[in-house]
Parts: sequence; structure tokens; C-alpha cells
Amino acid sequence: MNAAPPSSPVRLTILQGEAKASADPAVEMTTILGSCVATCLYDPLAKVGGMNHFLLGEPSGGSASARVDGDYGLYLMEVLINDMLAQGALKQRLRARLYGGGNLNPDLGAIGSANARFAREFLRKEGIEKAFEDLEGTHARRVDFRPATGQVRCRRIAETAAPTQKPQARPSDLVGGVELF
Amino acid sequence: MSGNTNREIRVLTVDDSASMRALLHATLKSRGFEVEQAEDGAEALEWLRENQVDLVITDINMPRLDGFGLIERLREGRVHEGRPILVLTTESSDSKKARARAAGATGWIVKPFDADKLTTAIRRVTH
Repeated sequence: MNAAPPSSPVRLTILQGEAKASADPAVEMTTILGSCVATCLYDPLAKVGGMNHFLLGEPSGGSASARVDGDYGLYLMEVLINDMLAQGALKQRLRARLYGGGNLNPDLGAIGSANARFAREFLRKEGIEKAFEDLEGTHARRVDFRPATGQVRCRRIAETAAPTQKPQARPSDLVGGVELF
Repeated sequence: MSGNTNREIRVLTVDDSASMRALLHATLKSRGFEVEQAEDGAEALEWLRENQVDLVITDINMPRLDGFGLIERLREGRVHEGRPILVLTTESSDSKKARARAAGATGWIVKPFDADKLTTAIRRVTH
């Protein structure tokens, strides 16, 4: 190995509603999670990793149960997976690590847990191996992820360091657009 | 119930995501459509050799045979050359849309889909 590891990583902040994938060894993805959940996916053979960050609200139509808008969550997962496939990953090789889903805002009830449930359920249905999870609880987290190696560091941080996050509505003007040729 | 007006329309959905298949199945059934499902382009192609549908709705990114490949293969044969095919995808790039159109797709729908818009599009292309 001639190349020395880069001294300072290229830091990519993953915000709520975003998903990014990379195979660049210099890249480190970072996110701060309160009630939000981040999925870190990694293909160890292709050495491609990716992260998304979401906080799903109740489905429009208002259900009384602690359900979240899984249709929109499904979309955010698919965007992440497709970005990884485009960089050489294979779905059956993906391993997932889940973080966040803290219930630290009493006004939002157990929305962190509801988001954590969605993420676990998605992986189970899709047959994606869950390698690790650090979910729920009542604390905020900071996650640093190296997509080229799959390494993750998750630290508890002061609640005040996490942005106050509201569940995300679908960007309705952009989605579901139909174009007939 | 408005669902009755769609009773005879038979739709094949092609998507490798089990979650997306479940969502499409529930949505289309609730709108009164008859729903068949395949996990990728290769399975869809095989199924369509012996079965007829009014419409194919396909994802783009799939293993074995992707959505572009499926459209091309269906347009090559005589049986399905006139079959409406809607692409349902998270992709929004103009180049991919152009490629789908060139391959013979009937329309392009962006995920996450809106159930009403999807239903309207299905009715329009199958009328």
C-alpha cells in the first residue's frame, strides 16, 4: 500500500430526507439523530456504502395507531438502495446497521420507536441482513460512517445538540408525477 | 363503490422489492383492479408467455432483467407489442426517461406514487 490514508476525511452531512451512497475511501458521512432513524447499508464485496436519514410522520388520513407513513419510508429506502446499485452493489449482499429512533421529544410521543419499527420491518421484508442496531432509548446520537469500509461510529450526544426534528411530509408537488408518452 | 368500474382491468406489476409489491397489490386491489405480480423482468417475461394482461407496470432497477430490458423484449414480440407499459420508478433523470420512451414505454410515473394519479393513468392507457 503506497497511498497513505487521507488525513482529513471529506465529510458529507446527511440531512433528514436525504440518501447518499459512495465508494470513496476519503468520504465520511455524518448525521445527527434525535427521533430520526438512519440506515447504513454496506456491500462488503463492492465496498460501497450508503446512508439515509428519515423521520416518518403518521400517514395522511390520520390513523390512531402508532403507525408511520411507510409508503414514503419505502421510497427513501429505495432511493438509497438504487444509488448503491448504481455504484456496483448487489441487493442480496447488503448488510444494514440502524441508528437513532430516540423518543426524546415528549410532544411527539413514541415516534422514534414507530420509525425504528418501520426500519426493522423493511429489512425483514426485503431480506436484507441487519448486522447491528442501536435504536430507541431517550438520547440523541451522532453517527459517522465510512461508506468504503462500512465502519460506523455512533456516539451518544447531548439532547440539545440534536436539531428539533418534525416528521417529514412527502414533497407532494414532486411525487407521483405521471407523464404519458 | 367506484372500484367496480375497474373490475376487468388486469395489471401485472413488476418490482423486486417485496414491500413495494405489497403496497402496489393493496393499492390496486382497493381500486378494483385485478393484480398479478412478478419479482423482476425475467419472471414477468416468462409469465407473459402464457398469460395476458391489460397493462404492465414495471420498476427500472431489478436483478436479472431490468425494466428497460423487459420493455425491449416485450416490444420485440408480436403478442405484447401494443400492450401499455407504465414505468414506476424513483428515477427522475431525463436520460433514463428518454431511454424508456425509446424502448417503447407508454408512460413514466415517479415514486412515491399517488394512488389517485396512478389509477387515472391506468384508466387512460387501458380504455
